[in-house]
Amino acid sequence: MRRLESGAFAIVGTGEVPTGRFERRPALESALESSRQAIMDAGIDKSEIDTVLTAGAIFSRKYNADMVFSRLVEELGLQETAHLNAQVFAGGASSSAMLNVAGALVSTGMSRAVLCVHSDKLATGVDPQEGIDIFATLGIQEEWEMPFGLHFSAVAGLVTQRYMYETGTTARQMASVCVSNRKWAELNPNAMFRKPLSIEEVLASRMLSEPLHAKESNVLADGGSAFIVTTSERARELTSTPVFVLGHSSRVTHYSISQESDITRFSYAQVGRAALSEARLEIEDMDIAEIYDSYPVFQLIALEELGFCDRGTAGAFVEAGGTWPGGRLPMTTNGGMLSQGHTGAGGGVAILVEAVRQLMGKAGDRQVTGAKFALDTSTGGTYMDVHVTILGSDVP
Amino acid sequence: MSARAGVVPEPTPWSEPFWHGARDSQLLLPWCVECGRPFFYPRPFCPRCLGKNIDWRLATGRGSIYSYTVVRSNPPTAFRSAVPFVIAIVRLDEGVQLLTNVVGDLDALRCDAPVEVVFEPVNVGEFALPKFRVCDSR
Repeated sequence: MRRLESGAFAIVGTGEVPTGRFERRPALESALESSRQAIMDAGIDKSEIDTVLTAGAIFSRKYNADMVFSRLVEELGLQETAHLNAQVFAGGASSSAMLNVAGALVSTGMSRAVLCVHSDKLATGVDPQEGIDIFATLGIQEEWEMPFGLHFSAVAGLVTQRYMYETGTTARQMASVCVSNRKWAELNPNAMFRKPLSIEEVLASRMLSEPLHAKESNVLADGGSAFIVTTSERARELTSTPVFVLGHSSRVTHYSISQESDITRFSYAQVGRAALSEARLEIEDMDIAEIYDSYPVFQLIALEELGFCDRGTAGAFVEAGGTWPGGRLPMTTNGGMLSQGHTGAGGGVAILVEAVRQLMGKAGDRQVTGAKFALDTSTGGTYMDVHVTILGSDVP
Repeated sequence: MSARAGVVPEPTPWSEPFWHGARDSQLLLPWCVECGRPFFYPRPFCPRCLGKNIDWRLATGRGSIYSYTVVRSNPPTAFRSAVPFVIAIVRLDEGVQLLTNVVGDLDALRCDAPVEVVFEPVNVGEFALPKFRVCDSR
């Protein structure tokens, strides 16, 4: 299969509204404000945007239909130039899915510039029990899994249990991942949770599905984020800080978590090697690991399978501060869904947007000095797929 | 959402033999006649070779716990009164995996523990769910 040349397209601007509980902020406002910020950040004339892609919103069928039916084109005044408005939705992997589709469109000349947007209202648009019930059906089999009570905390419990059993990772090490994410969120004005968190607090929190503690679970949130994709050639003209997509790979391994053959590895190893190979870079070249979390175990699995750490050593690496601000490998520097908040498909978009901000040098107090290359991951459903994207402030 | 929603399976035409067997306390697996191997969950055709010739065979009902979790809080609405309960992925001796509940002593739970099937009626005997309990190793 012929793939696009490494660095053929780039992200030129990002936008994001604060994540959290914002009862009086409509999801539409989050989408519009994120889009506006991304356009301003890119310094692009909005008439250049001819394509709008949105990731699905879960809280409201009506709002989601508005996104599908070109509401953003009308609200942003893109009617004169837009030739495509469509939804590209792969759950938590929507960030990568939108980036791939946008990259293919601009690289083939089918689009000039693509605005990718997500917004949802999962904190105040649904009640908490409804949230649990929604996530007890999405990605979970009605015939073979739901009758046994499977839901998302239990999915994470199953994965965490087997992973700890196989690797010997301790409860303290697992909890330290939440502390790492929180330390970054303390520096992130858009994060939902910014108060310092200790390992002891995590371990003292209520047990959800053993061995998963409440503070090892993401919290559903309201939020929105956006990014703009164009060709690298155009990106260099538009901005002094384009972020190039140097490599990408992905694999889809299951629909049902109970049908996954190895819930302690998934396909990070294979996917990571392919993405790095396309970028002509090594894992050691990565300055930042923007790893999709949702639960801490997935960050440890990714660190090991991608080759940042040997099998069974990621927990100790994180507990020793290796991924914290000032550590050797800054990880999930927006705080992830564990601390920034989980906005549905937007959890992955927020992590991608953070990777771009870091490489643009616009990450404020979280800025990783001199960051040139970042590895971004995403996964959707019950960890049905793995996407790895290699981003760079330059094409090596 | 009704109180029973999520508890009662929603069978398909191609899974009828499975649920019929479960009501008789029999764990039946679909085997592909072309491949000569079982698959799970039941589908209208074999997910490997797409063959439609399916043979339902009685399984050993034995396997091991691949992973498990004890649900202590925040379950779906329909399972609030069931807490604590155990969700597990079981690997059957036939080589397929399924999601289930493990019943019995929580202290006996561990990954790779041997288990055997038991059937629990739901919805006044309309269905029986295949669940498992930890058993002696063989």
